[in-house]
Amino acid sequence: MTTTATPPAPARPAASADRRTRVARIAVVAAAVALWFVPVPDGLTPPAWRLFVLFAAAIVSVVVSAFPILTASVLAVSAAVLTGLLPPAKAYTGFANGTILLIVLAFLVARAVVLSGLGTRVGYFIVSIFGRSTLGLSYSIFLVDAVIAPAFPSNTARSGVIYPLAFSLTEAAGARPGDEGSRRIGTFLMFSGIASLSLSSALWLTAMAGNPLGAEIARTFGVDIGFTRWLLAASLPTILAMAAMPPLLAWLIRPERTATPDAPGVARRALDGLGPLTRRERIVLAVFVGMVGLWAVAATFALDSTAVAFLGLGVMLASGVLTLGDIAKEGDVLATFIWFAVLYTLSTQLNELGFMGFLGQRMAGSLAGFPVLAAGAALVVAYVLLHYMFVSQTAHTLALFGVFLEVGIKLGVPAAPLAFQLLFATNYFAAITPQGSSANLLFAESGFLSQRDLYRLGALLTAFCLVLYLTVGTLWLRVVVP
Amino acid sequence: MTRAAVTCAACAIAGLTLSPADGLALHAQQEPPTAWRAFDGNWSASGSRQTIPTESGRAAAVAHLSGAVVLSNGTGIAAGFTGEVVGFDDGTGVTTGRAVWTDSAGDRIFSALRGGPLQTGRRISATITGGTGRWTGITGDYAFTWQYVVSAEGGELQGRSADLRGRLRWAEGPP
Repeated sequence: MTTTATPPAPARPAASADRRTRVARIAVVAAAVALWFVPVPDGLTPPAWRLFVLFAAAIVSVVVSAFPILTASVLAVSAAVLTGLLPPAKAYTGFANGTILLIVLAFLVARAVVLSGLGTRVGYFIVSIFGRSTLGLSYSIFLVDAVIAPAFPSNTARSGVIYPLAFSLTEAAGARPGDEGSRRIGTFLMFSGIASLSLSSALWLTAMAGNPLGAEIARTFGVDIGFTRWLLAASLPTILAMAAMPPLLAWLIRPERTATPDAPGVARRALDGLGPLTRRERIVLAVFVGMVGLWAVAATFALDSTAVAFLGLGVMLASGVLTLGDIAKEGDVLATFIWFAVLYTLSTQLNELGFMGFLGQRMAGSLAGFPVLAAGAALVVAYVLLHYMFVSQTAHTLALFGVFLEVGIKLGVPAAPLAFQLLFATNYFAAITPQGSSANLLFAESGFLSQRDLYRLGALLTAFCLVLYLTVGTLWLRVVVP
Repeated sequence: MTRAAVTCAACAIAGLTLSPADGLALHAQQEPPTAWRAFDGNWSASGSRQTIPTESGRAAAVAHLSGAVVLSNGTGIAAGFTGEVVGFDDGTGVTTGRAVWTDSAGDRIFSALRGGPLQTGRRISATITGGTGRWTGITGDYAFTWQYVVSAEGGELQGRSADLRGRLRWAEGPP
């Protein structure tokens, strides 16, 4: 009796957490049901409004820890289909999307890099050069990414190169997923990878598929954006952001170790101990270098990036460096595939049902009467916040960039600076949510980043970049884009 | 902090979406019931296009686009629709198509389109052929120019027109 009446002390936090989760679930579901039945706003059809309710409920439920992202996603898509909002053929289109398949394949290839031992060797090599501090390791990620980025129009493919590097560095730094004594080093390096991909995409016109599309749209408004002009406009704010990001992330995440003066020497001795490359490492290295090369020339020769990844995986399987047994252990990648495909589909359908265009129009239109500078800044802030509704940077660019640019020009905001600000935002806001860019997913599923980490750090990183680009970037644009 | 920010963003988006529009000025009360009413607006649409080659070297194409149509008569947002269009470009530079605009009550305006191929800068003219619900008995016409049409990887298309202008009336007054 006494035992049941007085629960043991350690159970209290768990019971409290359970109660919070139950309350959060009830609140999210109640809000979704209430919004479902409110009169549909003028200008939207009932399917568009109700799909927004489902999508928003899924995202909010993850943020308030009511449900994990996989649970929220599958509940949302099942509700969308069973209520007749989406026909099944449309609801499942994300599962046949090439970019999403590319993420799955890149994840498996990355595992091969780690399992073969090549990742450890690369990690030790980089630590031997940059490893005097964890900051140095983070900067090495930014440096490699910034250098290779202009050759990779697909930032998802580029994440397939940077992720194995970042993961190898976490291993070389002694961090393991689930090891509480070293987890924050892994969190720091993995989020460095996400931040690096978003900023390197902002630095180069050719580093993200949506950038040239945005430049093409800007041209119809009389703003010419070429490779050199983009680089010049992006250079100062982006390089400053890259320089500031590792210390900022270190301050936010507080990795267990920061100074590691002995690490380069230890890494050099470990490298010596590894001896020459093994057969398995040589095969993985050859396949990986081949994939990187093909990805780099994919746009030039009209090669499909996903097919390149299939080829690499096929060669690895055929040569035995990766086995079916290895693949069977990668359950996380299946979960990622499901939740991302679902959210991708819901967001795409929201756009096709006219919700995104309508919302962008309402949001931008509400700025009429603002002073020019305030209107320009508010447009950029609104454009960034709307990325909570998108799971693709390119889709966001296509749906809203032209709308916001047009409204800004009508309000008197100079076209060229506004176009650049919106296009840079299209890159740095990629980190705002884990699903904000397919390039985030490999890092998000590394085991080092919780959903809370991803949303919290993503929001803070995006806010930092927003302020930096709106202040330093605006002044810089006045100089270089008259 | 993140929770609050995301929840506030979701509430702001919902609130902005739910806030009343500036008024459905398309239903002007002072005018005779069968008078022409002018409107202008914009159309943002996304979708896909499939092509096959023709003997002329140009491609014939079918396209399916959908997105937001926002109409006004000079006082901001007056009426919004979800616009859907299917078009056929026969490879000779002529596109024909059909469009349907659906409002928040599920009532529809139908139109037939004709114009140049689905490309940036091409002009499209349309005849309003009828409607359902509050738009029953409607006739009219409109025209617009594709301000841009861009194609992303995977065949995804996005187009926008900002100069949509037209007129409409009910043959026997609004129902």
